[in-house]
Amino acid sequence: MTERFAEWYKTRHDYARAWKERTGGKVVGYFCTYVPEEILIAAGVLPVRILGSHEPQSVTEPHIFGMFCPFCRDCLAQGLKGRYDYLDGIMIAQSCLHIRQAFTSWVQHVPVGWSYYLPFPNHVQSRAARPYLVEELRLFKEAVGAWVGRPITDADLDRGIATCNEFRSALRELYESRKAEHPPLNGVEAMLAVVSGQFVDKTEHTTALRQLLDALDGRERRDPKIRLMLVGSEDDDVEFIRMVEACGATVVTDDHCTGTRYFWNNVEPGEDRLGAIADRYLTRPPCPSKDWPTRSRVPHILDLADRWGVQGVVVLQQKFCDPHEADTPAIIAALREKGIPSLFLELDVTVPVGQFKTRTDAFLEMITADDLF
Amino acid sequence: MAEQEYWRWTEYRHHDESIDPRAGAIVAAGIDVGSVSSQAVVTVDDRLYAFSSMRTGSNSPDSATNALNWALEGTGLTPGDLACVVGTGYGRVNIPFADKAITEIACHARGANFMYGPSVRTLLDMGGQDCKIIHCDEQGKVRAFLMNDKCAAGTGRGMEVFADLLAVPIEQVGALSFEVEEEPDPVSSTCVVFAKSEATGLLRRGWPKSKVLAAYCAAMAHRVVTLIERLGIEKEFAITGGIAKNAGVVKRLQRELGVEPLTTTYDAQIAGALGGALFATALVRKGKGRKA
Repeated sequence: MTERFAEWYKTRHDYARAWKERTGGKVVGYFCTYVPEEILIAAGVLPVRILGSHEPQSVTEPHIFGMFCPFCRDCLAQGLKGRYDYLDGIMIAQSCLHIRQAFTSWVQHVPVGWSYYLPFPNHVQSRAARPYLVEELRLFKEAVGAWVGRPITDADLDRGIATCNEFRSALRELYESRKAEHPPLNGVEAMLAVVSGQFVDKTEHTTALRQLLDALDGRERRDPKIRLMLVGSEDDDVEFIRMVEACGATVVTDDHCTGTRYFWNNVEPGEDRLGAIADRYLTRPPCPSKDWPTRSRVPHILDLADRWGVQGVVVLQQKFCDPHEADTPAIIAALREKGIPSLFLELDVTVPVGQFKTRTDAFLEMITADDLF
Repeated sequence: MAEQEYWRWTEYRHHDESIDPRAGAIVAAGIDVGSVSSQAVVTVDDRLYAFSSMRTGSNSPDSATNALNWALEGTGLTPGDLACVVGTGYGRVNIPFADKAITEIACHARGANFMYGPSVRTLLDMGGQDCKIIHCDEQGKVRAFLMNDKCAAGTGRGMEVFADLLAVPIEQVGALSFEVEEEPDPVSSTCVVFAKSEATGLLRRGWPKSKVLAAYCAAMAHRVVTLIERLGIEKEFAITGGIAKNAGVVKRLQRELGVEPLTTTYDAQIAGALGGALFATALVRKGKGRKA
């Protein structure tokens, strides 16, 4: 049941090419989960998130600083290597400088017919953020309409909103099931279900999610042993999560952008469609680059940890990610205060699985120390 | 005569004649297969009975077997007499006859608790190719830990390379590093490759060996201090691992930290294996040992 998500994850480029051939539609590569997919879907476009491939590479050296995060370099490498040669357009919504460098470099060095920079406010807590974003969304909607040759109507927007909401609601239900004492799926399966939704047609993906949800009762339940939560940046590192779970633990929830941060809240439909979309993105569980001056992530993470019965948290971040580095001490301290131990690890393009395994083993031993004394 | 290998530290074994292993209820062992050295410790009812410390060979199962056999030599015991064996160290998952693998982080904390007493709260383990800082409670339970990243800079292996480069037997490095009129600036990098070329340059400039060693020991101490400061230091403070025996690093570390480490009459290099043996004993008591 979950194999389909794993298959989509592995063959994402083949999927997009086949989708294009089947529908004749346009495919847009996007760089950050702040891109309002509703508007692209309203225009009949397939949004495809640009992700890295976790392979060592040497093609980005002239284009991105060495102390920029490995994720942005890995993403750009995919473009420079021609892995996304089927894209009709490329876009980003402003989040951090590192990923924006990957975007601008891509526009400059990888020929794409259409590109769009959506200036998304970073100070989402400002009163000016909403009117600013609503106006930017209007300009974006018009630009997309002009590009596809057909203005985006209210009915189109309603369809885009409904499609995304149904998809996100299904993921919420899937995450709800992981609250169980014996969760019906492990962390790798859950993450693949989320991350594949970032590049597969949402309607098709939601159908697959619904089939999985219907089949959950019949699934073999696993003893989670130790219930873990992943907190961090972009974390689609399947090998790493598989290793953690093989050490005797189960990831039951997360706060990262290939997890809950991507799908947590829905658009509340209303007459003012762009206003409703703006509200959704301004109030979603934020990326740390947008979580200031109030650090709203901390109470949100504690709440997730509490409701999903988390015993330990693995705090992961892309090396050199400044916004996450600034958040990490506060998150670790807040967890400690609640008596939840945490393990901090830095991700690179490839992870040193052996070293991380020793740390993970030691972390799990720490949680179950009483068994040894 | 073959060229002297200055890095080669003394391999040795010992057992306590005053303990009769046949009189004990639980005879257990811990084996620490590290990246550079391997130790086996045999305990009799939570007492340290026998141990060996030797260089790790090219494969973990052999290193573990050799270390254990050597520790048992002359004791009249055979591996079959052990109620439980715990493997630790980077080769822990590759010890075929171990009943359980436990990380060196947990084992060092437990071993240090035995060696230095229950007052240890912060433990620094300076091993062959990595370095860990561990917070533990009065039982030796790990509360938090931090490991250095991906690189052997400022670890035991780096010190061996320096001993060889300067033709100073490794056990004399610490003492010699203090034979300087004035403490030099630390070498600018603890990366073994960079530090080695920097040291070559210093020697060419006419620096005596003692001064070069002082500069390297200081750099190593400084690197460890930055790691310790990330986790914070709570008293009492103790050091385990091979570098604990190198006063050149330990004294400079103490100077920079402003905290005096506890001392012990035990060999701090066997802390991991000792912790493993104590865990093995606890497992037997809980009915989870081999003979359970």
